[in-house]
Amino acid sequence: MLRQLTDSERNLTELAAPLKMSFPAASKHFRVLEKAKLVRRRVVGRTHLCRIEGKPLEQANQWLEGYREVWERNFLRLDALLDQMKAEERDKKDTTH
Amino acid sequence: MLTALKVTTPTDLQIVMTRSFDAPRRMVWDAMTKPELMQKWMFMPPGWKWATCENDLRVGGKFRLAWNGPDGRLALTIWGENKEVTPHSRIVHTERMEMGPGAGDCGGGEEGCAEPWEVLETLELTEKDGKTTLRLMLEFPSKEARDGALASGMDQGMEAGYAQLDAMLAGMR
Repeated sequence: MLRQLTDSERNLTELAAPLKMSFPAASKHFRVLEKAKLVRRRVVGRTHLCRIEGKPLEQANQWLEGYREVWERNFLRLDALLDQMKAEERDKKDTTH
Repeated sequence: MLTALKVTTPTDLQIVMTRSFDAPRRMVWDAMTKPELMQKWMFMPPGWKWATCENDLRVGGKFRLAWNGPDGRLALTIWGENKEVTPHSRIVHTERMEMGPGAGDCGGGEEGCAEPWEVLETLELTEKDGKTTLRLMLEFPSKEARDGALASGMDQGMEAGYAQLDAMLAGMR
């Protein structure tokens, strides 16, 4: 959803469509982002126009941190796998001696 | 000394990640290139299952990673070609991705939704005192593509559940 807002303002229906989300689901998703101050909306007549909140720099920092979190979760699993690989190699050495 | 994951954007078209691991680089190399090991740690949102994990680690060799979503339908495919391979040290590969209907709220749709761009990834591993430092550089064809990839971290946090997104955001403040 945030990806779609990187270049322009959109209404909720436009946001929901490519995500194959129902309108209420998109609305809930948007409200969580709104609460987190990642996005904001302005109301024009009956249309809610959505856009990304904040200064570009803050935005970029939040994106970087979000991206980092996703990768760090992967790398923590990789740490665990490497520990396991090291333990297996040690066991192998022990049994050959 | 181990260093935490650092993500930087040296230019408008790049994302660079560096992190160190408490293991020799031949092990990190194996974990990052052998499908039976890749499947044990790589990108795995809750409820997703591996559908395909193949990597032909030769110059010109193809790789293909795919996951099914909780409903059993294809959620995400990542594929590309290995352009440069220096064992235990360096890989350059191209990468494309496509979301499928199984990705649910994360996007994709019934027809699937492929990102129209190709990313060039360079992985470098260096070893010192039995510890390995990884440097992964992603190069995008445009700033829009690069920013979209960065912003997707937020969408993925969202997909992993609202509670997790809250925790993630709390951590940022």
